[in-house]
Amino acid sequence: MPEKMNRRDFIKNTVAGAAGLAVLGLPTLGTAAAAPIKLTILHTNDMHSRIDPFPNDGRKNGGMGGMARRATLVKQIRAQEPNVLLLDAGDIWQGTPYFNFFGGELEYKLMTQMGYDAATLGNHDFDNGLEGLQKQLPHAGFPFLIANYDFSNTILKGRFEPYKVFVKEGVRVGVFGLGIELAGLVADNHFAGTQYLDPVATARQMVKTLREQEKVDLVICLSHLGYDYKYNKIDDRKLARQVSGIDLIIGGHTHTFLDEPEKITHADGHVTLVNQVGWSGINLGRIDFTFQRKNKSKTAATASVLPLNDRVIIS
Amino acid sequence: MSLFSLFRTRGLSLGLGITLALAGCQKELVPSVSLSVNTDIPVNTQITPDPTAESTIAPFRIKVDQTMNEVIGQAPVALEKGEYESSLGNFVADLSRTQVMAVYGKPVDMGGMTNGGLRNPIDQGPITVGDVFELMPFENEMMVLTLSGATVQEMFDFAARTKILVIANAAYTVRNGKAEAISIGGQPLDINKTYTLAISDYLANGGDNMGFLKKALKSEKAGLLARDAIMKEIQQHTAQGKPVTAQKDGRVKVIK
Repeated sequence: MPEKMNRRDFIKNTVAGAAGLAVLGLPTLGTAAAAPIKLTILHTNDMHSRIDPFPNDGRKNGGMGGMARRATLVKQIRAQEPNVLLLDAGDIWQGTPYFNFFGGELEYKLMTQMGYDAATLGNHDFDNGLEGLQKQLPHAGFPFLIANYDFSNTILKGRFEPYKVFVKEGVRVGVFGLGIELAGLVADNHFAGTQYLDPVATARQMVKTLREQEKVDLVICLSHLGYDYKYNKIDDRKLARQVSGIDLIIGGHTHTFLDEPEKITHADGHVTLVNQVGWSGINLGRIDFTFQRKNKSKTAATASVLPLNDRVIIS
Repeated sequence: MSLFSLFRTRGLSLGLGITLALAGCQKELVPSVSLSVNTDIPVNTQITPDPTAESTIAPFRIKVDQTMNEVIGQAPVALEKGEYESSLGNFVADLSRTQVMAVYGKPVDMGGMTNGGLRNPIDQGPITVGDVFELMPFENEMMVLTLSGATVQEMFDFAARTKILVIANAAYTVRNGKAEAISIGGQPLDINKTYTLAISDYLANGGDNMGFLKKALKSEKAGLLARDAIMKEIQQHTAQGKPVTAQKDGRVKVIK
């Protein structure tokens, strides 16, 4: 079965990696013999109804994107990797006539076929109002996670969860969602009754719940707050600095192309990664985590596999 | 393609290892992260579209294409947005006023458009219905607002401070982030008068942080979608044998 093949390939990968380290004179792994577990996070943000690629006619980003191509890429990576989570950080809607004509039905159907595990809500996902969302939700075979919008006084009461825990080979991954303040950004009548909660306080509560009650090994935040504002508005970088315990923030809204995730290190040494991959599905984000099964005796300390670069180039 | 064959072709390279272990050693699983050379995989022309996804899209695409591929005009030079005023910003702000006047049946003092609402440039070459949809995807309706002189002053100050709002049939000077020497239709702003403004309902309702527009003394629907206003303007240019052009025209002067 493919699952098993992947597992074997991955073990080869690890052995080869250890050999590579020895050659470079770095310390080899100690006695931590149990095979590490690998988790591959794939992510998108601000796809803005870009079903088809940008027309390849010399315009900016011409020929880039396309959901059917992304589906191929995701399928290939799933065939190669044992544990994949596919996530989106919001603004799935608005930007091409597909949305004007069909209200987001096709976007949700394709994301469902592609096996998206979760998404959060962007401001443009309110462009057809709460009714527009309600109408299309049956086409979405994946959950929307949003912790800082309270819909209890709206027709969408009970339709969303603040977080979800995914379990991959025993690794518990907690994913929660944060949305941007809608007032001033979305027409009032399109979100009326939706209460916006402070993202920082909400995120702290989420980390606490996920770490202490759900006992997760990794905390991922899907954020539509935006990457970086020069003025006093909450963004992913400020969130990463102000809230400890998040491992990865997958961002959106500002359509920011980051060459690599930004690393924000907290006083206790914990690192929060912030990533965002532009917009319109021009890129698919990929971050690989490796989980070392640690001996409960403290001798293993923080030894972890120095991971291999297994970036997949589609030739 | 298996991972192993990738190694043969690409060789091994070490990623960046970052220990994400939290203080305290109770946890059984210690994560580390591997950042690939590129953590953004380009979705480009070399990737074959997935056939299942393609067959899902096909019936939707046929319906969209029939309407969208119709060419309605020509742009000899691309229209782009920019700070304070721009070819694209001026084009849309100006037509917002003139096209609203045509359906409203009365003169309107000003038109307004923000950069955030212009979702794509008008690229050089043929302009299709689809291009106009991508420029203005929103189902925004045009409004006519009646504003006090004080609110108009506030609007120009907003334009000077944020650089995102283009105003039609008006001119002003920016000094230290503030608007001065404001004129509307060639006449200096009179704080004691009222003025009319053609603008989308999104902005009229305080979108793009223009909450001051909610202070309008009167608010009327023009009966025209923002996108249809653009469509009509382009079609009228074409009917008159004219290409679609617009320039920065110095309506905003910035003193450093």
